[in-house]
Amino acid sequence: MTDETLPKPNYTGRVVDAQLQLLDRQVLDDTGKPVCVVDDIEVAGIELGQRMLRDAPAPTIDALLSGPVFLTRVFGGRPPTSRLFRIPWAKVRNLGTAIELSVGSESLDASWTERWTRDHVIGRIPGARHDPE
Amino acid sequence: MILSDVLKNDVFDADGSRLGRVIDVRFEIVGAAKSAPAKTILRGLVVSPRSGSSFLGYERNEVNAPFLIAWLLNRRHRGAFFVEWSEVSSIDRGTVALRRNFTRYSVLT
Repeated sequence: MTDETLPKPNYTGRVVDAQLQLLDRQVLDDTGKPVCVVDDIEVAGIELGQRMLRDAPAPTIDALLSGPVFLTRVFGGRPPTSRLFRIPWAKVRNLGTAIELSVGSESLDASWTERWTRDHVIGRIPGARHDPE
Repeated sequence: MILSDVLKNDVFDADGSRLGRVIDVRFEIVGAAKSAPAKTILRGLVVSPRSGSSFLGYERNEVNAPFLIAWLLNRRHRGAFFVEWSEVSSIDRGTVALRRNFTRYSVLT
């Protein structure tokens, strides 16, 4: 559907388009439990405003970022980088319909609000700390 | 740098002519099994001259159905191209500058 007169680049590995296959994808921990969605991606090896050398090594994905982006998506702008939680790329196990991690959600900063709500709110409701009988 | 510093940026050539907008950033998984993305390098940018919206995946192969959606996306993204990362000379807030005599590649993978 695109201009077929242009040459195709020579890819040797699996090609991943960020907008299409990474952003807004559900992130699952090693047990399949939902952790967050990918709101942004941190790329190592380049800085904004820096002039790039032609033979410099290609930048690599450093981390997936997740955070409070709802309001900025509605009203514009973006949250400060310090408000985004990082999930190191090395902890990604598989890229599919969802992004699977090799670690549990308990070890990730991205799920602290769920843990806090569980411990301080849900856990204080009588009967909430055991399975229903 | 984070990806939203690049996405939707206006792209200019070495003479300052506007070429379009960055509609996607393409990565390639290298040096690992296909399911274990140990190292993922930035290969380049997908640039569309007319629209900042997504291709919805239609650029990945020669899918042309449903016909109406394929036709509409084809119209919106005609002239779209892929440019290798090595052809990018600088990225600033809202803009991407390309090198002189850069090569346009097909967005097909």
